[in-house]
Amino acid sequence: MPSDIIINWSLIMPSLVIVATMLIVLIFDLFDAISKKVLGYITIAGAGIALVESVRMLRTESFGTQFEGMFEVDAYSLFFNIIFLVSTILVVLISLSYLGRDDKKQGPYYLLILLATLGMMLMAAGNELIIVFLGLELMSLSLYVLAGYFRDNPASSEAGMKYLLLGAFASAFFLYGIALIYGATGTTSIPEIAQYLTDLTAESETALPGPFLFAGVFLLIVGFGFKVAIVPFHQWAPDVYEGAPTTIAAFISAGPKAAGFAAFVRIFMEALPNIDTEWNTVLIILAILTMTVGNVIAIAQTNIKRMLAYSSIAHAGYVLIGLAAANSEGTSSAIMYLFIYCVMNIGAFGAVILARTADGESLMISDYAGLGFKKPLIGMLMSLMLLSLAGFPPFAGFVGKFYIFKSAVEAGVEAENNWLIWLVIVGAINTAISAFYYLRVIVTMYMREPEDELEFKPYPSTLVIGLVLAAIGVILLGILPSLIVDHVQVIAFN
Amino acid sequence: MLLSLVIFLPLLGVIAIALLRGMGPSVVKGIAFTISLLTFVISIGLYTGFEETATDTAFQLVEKENWITGLGISYHIGIDGISLWLILLTTFLTPVCILAAWNSVEKGLNGFMMSLLALETGMLGVFCSLDLFLFFVFWEAMLIPMYFLIGIWGGERRIYATIKFVLYTMAGSALMLVGILALYFQNGNSFDLTTLSGRFTHDSYLFLAFFIAFAIKVPLFPFHTWLPDAHVEAPTVGSVILAGVLLKMGTYGIIRFCLPLFPEAAALHTPWIVTLAVIGIIYGALVAMVQPDLKKLVAYSSVSHLGFVVLGLFSQSHEAIQGSVLQMVNHGLSTGALFLLVGMIYERRHSRMIVDFGGLAKRMPIFASIFLIVTLSSIGLPGLNGFVGEFMILLGSFVEGAFSKWYVVFATTGVILAAVYMLWMFQRVMFGKLDKTNESLPDLNSREIAVLVPILVFIVWIGVFPNTFLKPMETSVEKVATKVQVPRSTPAVGQVNNPGETQKPLLKQNTEIRLSHEEEAQTK
Repeated sequence: MPSDIIINWSLIMPSLVIVATMLIVLIFDLFDAISKKVLGYITIAGAGIALVESVRMLRTESFGTQFEGMFEVDAYSLFFNIIFLVSTILVVLISLSYLGRDDKKQGPYYLLILLATLGMMLMAAGNELIIVFLGLELMSLSLYVLAGYFRDNPASSEAGMKYLLLGAFASAFFLYGIALIYGATGTTSIPEIAQYLTDLTAESETALPGPFLFAGVFLLIVGFGFKVAIVPFHQWAPDVYEGAPTTIAAFISAGPKAAGFAAFVRIFMEALPNIDTEWNTVLIILAILTMTVGNVIAIAQTNIKRMLAYSSIAHAGYVLIGLAAANSEGTSSAIMYLFIYCVMNIGAFGAVILARTADGESLMISDYAGLGFKKPLIGMLMSLMLLSLAGFPPFAGFVGKFYIFKSAVEAGVEAENNWLIWLVIVGAINTAISAFYYLRVIVTMYMREPEDELEFKPYPSTLVIGLVLAAIGVILLGILPSLIVDHVQVIAFN
Repeated sequence: MLLSLVIFLPLLGVIAIALLRGMGPSVVKGIAFTISLLTFVISIGLYTGFEETATDTAFQLVEKENWITGLGISYHIGIDGISLWLILLTTFLTPVCILAAWNSVEKGLNGFMMSLLALETGMLGVFCSLDLFLFFVFWEAMLIPMYFLIGIWGGERRIYATIKFVLYTMAGSALMLVGILALYFQNGNSFDLTTLSGRFTHDSYLFLAFFIAFAIKVPLFPFHTWLPDAHVEAPTVGSVILAGVLLKMGTYGIIRFCLPLFPEAAALHTPWIVTLAVIGIIYGALVAMVQPDLKKLVAYSSVSHLGFVVLGLFSQSHEAIQGSVLQMVNHGLSTGALFLLVGMIYERRHSRMIVDFGGLAKRMPIFASIFLIVTLSSIGLPGLNGFVGEFMILLGSFVEGAFSKWYVVFATTGVILAAVYMLWMFQRVMFGKLDKTNESLPDLNSREIAVLVPILVFIVWIGVFPNTFLKPMETSVEKVATKVQVPRSTPAVGQVNNPGETQKPLLKQNTEIRLSHEEEAQTK
């Protein structure tokens, strides 16, 4: 081992920018003279710089590893950085007006969002199980606080508490999984685990890695399953989404889910490709369960945040189809879907925030009756996001789903695995099921008469900017998917 | 470029209306009508630019651009003799519909016109796409404007009807999507329709994946239950577009994908499909007969008429397939006109119940005469369009059909039943005692006449000079017919009823009879 650590600062620039932004926010928060909104703008600026830097690094292919191979800067982690930073910027844009001018506690809010973003970036770049765990905890701990951010609101406190308890369990499972894998292979480095397994199979064809590795992998799946809300580990999601501030619900449903999948894919595709037939079946079953349960329960929801919570569970199921395909096309389709999903889901939550009334948010779907004609902007944006989530062309959600289904069929044809074909059929039918509840919101907005007159607040400009950006993204990626398809196809390492 | 212009010009109208907010209603209507009329005028260029005799390439006016190269998807469009007429039908019906809806939209006029124009783009795209992905995009995207048209501007049970419509279609297209993906890998990783050839593995399943999606759209009995709901609840022009063009997307899909791509599977599945088509013909007619509601009657008559089309498509007979394509256009015109007429009387009386009417012919002579012509066209009176199509279908499938002649015999009763329910309805509405409440009903105004007369022109034109319409589609239909006739020689398809040599002269004879009849009609 080299004794001196050479740090290539330019490689870790995006993370450094986020850390610097955190410090600036922390310092500026001390001065009461500075409007708290400025902190939000600083956050956007910092995330924006990190985003530009990530894009630049991706274009110039400035890749490499840092910290003795523990921190991997490759196209994969850089593209996930883009997903996280875009999500963060959109979430801060929709948060600025949501928190209100007089809220004294806004400093920590932006700080925690930045901290969570840093955690996600660590997870995507972690080439070492311990680093992944570090990132996971950094992200999760910030999210627990953010979920309970409205201390005076019992629902928010409950959400924070519930998230903390269940999340802590998940982290424990995850850590235990790492310990078992370490016990089985003698290392926590992802390339070294892969090397160990290759050597094992090289020795003899029938050599099995031993029960500890399987137990470890299983526990990792459980831990990740909690974090990205896969059925049957999804129970926390609806309660947390409902109780948490809507902006934070949008945040939790987007970036952290992508981060969970980022680490998931890296570990399973890079470290464990040799035992893929074993976990592949598990993934197929989980995907079917996740999509079906998420979509079917979403039909019964009357609260729009809960509905979006179940819908985001179902979307994790679609991503799992890409993972179950277990080839490079599957990975790139999953990455692309995560990107599209983050943009449209934040957009959907943002549209919910846009429909705020004088006495708080209108969260019951029935409150939206007649909104489409009374408030055309809300109606239009909400419809756009929901149609995209439902997978209607020509919006981005359709292309994302199509790519995932395509890669799974391809993998099924190549591996002669009929289960994958059936998985795609189940996924396609689920798309039709999901259309029912997404369209129901549109039905309420445009086709029902309002029961009582609700006074809606005027539109805050930052929120509208955020939503319009998301809307442009959803339409543009729907019509010209090549903008990211070409990139994600390069990324997939396999 | 011409074809792309036709497809996307209506979308330009949508954008124009969206950007020019706060315009008066007359300006919005003006923009929508001008754009749609312009689209129709340009689409006539497709007809004049279409080479009838070209046999070397199947598709003309082809445009191909790379779109999503990473996924093997290209923007590939083109037309043949079959899609040509459906495109013209679409571009023709849209301005007619906008004119018909001139005064009937009370709320959200901008949205209404935008939906209608967006729908036109979607439908045209479906008929032009030569890339499976592109086809699917248009096929699904077209649902959104139709969903809004029925759901916002529809009748009382509009929400139920519109959700049923969307979910039925989506359920069908979910399977089609998987079928498209499976084809992609058998087509050398390409979604290009024109390169698809040969026999595919699992072609029977692939056929079903496509066919069920189309059968729901047609709709074939027993997938038809969404249709009466959607038709009755949709606003008048919604019904016109639905019956006129949307249902044709199903039959178009069959002739473009199911038959040429999977001829063996199509032959294998023909018996039950044709059985369902004949059941649909008779069932639709019988149910139409007892409807108290004019719109429902017309809706069920569609189930019956489309049964003929499906029967013809699966007959493997060139003549019957050609008749089916013509009948698609005929049905679009006649049923579209019927829905327009029902809409006009509904606007006056706010009722569609047959019992509420009677003796209208005395008060509204122009309305009654036009209604009579359209009714007769729908029944299939010689000299009008319906006759040509139905006659070709029945003759072709009787003489050359790949199935028992009894199917055709039963199907023919549908023609008689059509006369029963249509004429009986006409009699109850137009003749008899004039009710007091109906005495003040005004006759058609000049706008309404302007809406209907163009349709009448085509109804008579197709009836008298069908060759104008049959000739351009000749080569394309021939191509499909040759493809589906291939499996006849293979012994794998046991149900196929090979036409004996003795039957050939009979066909010729009958064709001559038909032609001489046409000449007769022309001399008249």
